Amino acid sequence: MIDSAMFAVQVVLLVLGCLFFAVGTLGLFRFSDTLTRIHALTKVDNLGLGFIVLALLPLAPSLAGGVKMVLIWAAALAASATSAHLIARAVHVRPEHSAVQEAADD
Amino acid sequence: MQSAPSLPPVSLLLRGAALLVVWWALTLGETSALGFGLGVTALVAWLSVRLFPPFGYRLQPLGLLSFLGYFLTRSVAAGLDVTRRLLSPALPVHPGEIILTLRLPEGSPRWLLANTLSLMPGTLSALLEGDQLTLHCLDTREPVEQDVRETERQVARVFGLSLDDIGRAVQ
Repeated sequence: MIDSAMFAVQVVLLVLGCLFFAVGTLGLFRFSDTLTRIHALTKVDNLGLGFIVLALLPLAPSLAGGVKMVLIWAAALAASATSAHLIARAVHVRPEHSAVQEAADD
Repeated sequence: MQSAPSLPPVSLLLRGAALLVVWWALTLGETSALGFGLGVTALVAWLSVRLFPPFGYRLQPLGLLSFLGYFLTRSVAAGLDVTRRLLSPALPVHPGEIILTLRLPEGSPRWLLANTLSLMPGTLSALLEGDQLTLHCLDTREPVEQDVRETERQVARVFGLSLDDIGRAVQ
């Protein structure tokens, strides 16, 4: 009984996580400029990964395994914050270049 | 109030211990890998003290906990906020930029704030020059500055800094 309840919660969390990833990708299409797109990707994808890690935590083989999963999430957070900042800075420093680039992409 | 600078041997030990916990997690607690791990963590701790010398802020456990709670709830809010805007047919965004003068001292505190803000609702750190932070905002009609100041206060607590006497704390 408890097992199946746990399983149901895990499934819900996994589906939620995937939905958030999908929404983050939708942001790439619906938003029109680089900086706004980054907002969608960083924030929503972190939430998606967070839900997936949360869903998988009960399956961790050991305490170390659980800590490892949380570390993966933390590393992804740090990486996405840093890369978001780097892209934003690049756009900021050379806006005309990015406008040309985007026009070419569209 | 600023705590006394931690001595290099102390930071060496603390960083080594933290790295060892990471090693333990990465190797899933495998005991046969411990010897190698000790060598690697000692080397990395030494390198990190060489490259990023301790500069006088000591992490405050209580401040860190409160920051973590704040960070988690706000990042969930951030994800939901963008999701709500994206799924709404009218796409209610009003992007723009604001420039703020940070009250936090240079180094880790400013760096942590800039990175945290990129994960908070509606803000994205674009440019950090000295104490001037340029933020890209998803919606400039929201009270962005108020949120940023709250995040700044949380970051200050992590480092045991008080924003009121920050002028004296900056070297």
